Amino acid sequence: MSAPAAAATTASSKPQISVVVRDIVQEYPAAGGGVTRVIDRVSLAFDKPGINLLLGPSGCGKSTLLHLLGGVRPHGVTTPTSGSVLIDGVECTGAHDDSVMVFQRYANRPDLSVFDNVAFPFRLKLWKTRVAESEWRQRVGDMLRAVGLSDKAGLRPAQLSGGQNQRVALARALVLRPRILLMDEPFGALDAQTRDEMQRLLIDLYRAWPCLVVFVTHDVTEALVLGDRVIVLSSQPARVADDFEISEPRPRSAEWQRSRTALALEERILNQLHASPGKGQVRVTI
Amino acid sequence: MSEFWNPYAPLDARRRRLLGAGAVLTLLALWSAVAVSGLVSPTKLPAPWQVLSAFAYLAWNDGESLLLTATLWSVGRLLVAGALVTAIGIPIGVLMGAAPRLNAALSPLVDPFRSAPVVALLPILVMWMGIGEAMKIAFLFLGAVVYLIPMVRDAVQAVPQSYWVSARDLGATPWECIRHAVVPIAMPRIADAVIVAFSVMWTYITVAEYVNAREGLGQLIQNARRFSAWDQVFAGIFVIIALALATYQGMLWLKRRRYPWETQL
Repeated sequence: MSAPAAAATTASSKPQISVVVRDIVQEYPAAGGGVTRVIDRVSLAFDKPGINLLLGPSGCGKSTLLHLLGGVRPHGVTTPTSGSVLIDGVECTGAHDDSVMVFQRYANRPDLSVFDNVAFPFRLKLWKTRVAESEWRQRVGDMLRAVGLSDKAGLRPAQLSGGQNQRVALARALVLRPRILLMDEPFGALDAQTRDEMQRLLIDLYRAWPCLVVFVTHDVTEALVLGDRVIVLSSQPARVADDFEISEPRPRSAEWQRSRTALALEERILNQLHASPGKGQVRVTI
Repeated sequence: MSEFWNPYAPLDARRRRLLGAGAVLTLLALWSAVAVSGLVSPTKLPAPWQVLSAFAYLAWNDGESLLLTATLWSVGRLLVAGALVTAIGIPIGVLMGAAPRLNAALSPLVDPFRSAPVVALLPILVMWMGIGEAMKIAFLFLGAVVYLIPMVRDAVQAVPQSYWVSARDLGATPWECIRHAVVPIAMPRIADAVIVAFSVMWTYITVAEYVNAREGLGQLIQNARRFSAWDQVFAGIFVIIALALATYQGMLWLKRRRYPWETQL
């Protein structure tokens, strides 16, 4: 099938998205001269909305991969060393309007209220020209309701808990209605109970706004609770060690998490991770 | 006493004030004792009450207040110089903090002056600008701005990179990142730099008014010294200390009101 024909068929169905990671290699200068390969020829394709988990031991290069998708490039290093990222068939080299990233350090402005933090992007030229003030005010209000912070709109970040701060960051990302949501271990710094709440919140938000979510974690349980698809990366250099889908609908009950299917998947993931040599850590809750 | 050598043990406000006031009163008592004992000639060390009566004389005599006039002049000079320091120093510091290339180029021109003998510049300024007000303002400006610029730069550089990265990701241009994500977070530390700049200017005010000042606290002290009126010299010094302290406390209060969200980043 030729490319224009493919575009025509996708346009006829619901809003489509295509993110292709092609043969990515990433090397960093090593301490004693030479180079360290962090990512080794990773190729992935995402062609529909869904929650995709990038799972790997800590320090395996999965964040680097996610940052490549988001166009966040470190200084002083060519990124990627080779390979390319294509969004809707167009090579992506910098920050992309269609993708927004949520970081573990939520980067909320301490001087602004919760409302103004969520409204922050609309102060920027890029969004100011695209979204009228009456509309974004409406959107911010709706978004605050969706993340359960309506009654906290006037508070400052310092008056919120870690989980609530991460809700602000999540709201700020989704208020832009991105087609791609990149999440870099967003719940990694939260306590177990708050992490559960945030996972449930993400499931609800995703149902309301289905987009392409790429979610980086080193938590095997988190991957099983959230993922439509789980991509397991080996530790340095990162290679795709496994890639499978989970069809169980969300939210996934505690019974399912203890079911034979879930335990078999967990075993499969851990085996893959243990098969790859390295010093990184993964986490399994329960 | 078990809490004596514990830097983390909180001290209640009442006890803190009591200890502070106690130390000041002790020093005053010692000073009075030395004055009464006659160990030191009163021409060298005037007694506290002599300083107090000199203060009263300066504050009100013959229908005019020398002290008030002098204070207004000094405060006026300080405010003009302070406005210039803030208006010129903050933008330069922010630009240096925001752009490593600008910092690399400008820091050799600014940083060494922090340890330079600014007082030695006074004759040069007199040579260049004469002995009028411009020279005094320029001296105060120079003395303070070399402290302010590096502090503002450091404040900008201390903002965690995550704010910049996140704003970039949301589509901000680099300049928008500086304006909306970096500088607002650096503001409390920039305010600290302004407070330091004013403290520095208070310490330089007597030097600034050393040459050909007709009015001002520095001139008042200078004049008293010429007539060996040491009680007036002491009174003048105490007035400057009090004003500097009031400026510091006032600005700190303003800063805390304006940036109540400041935390230990």
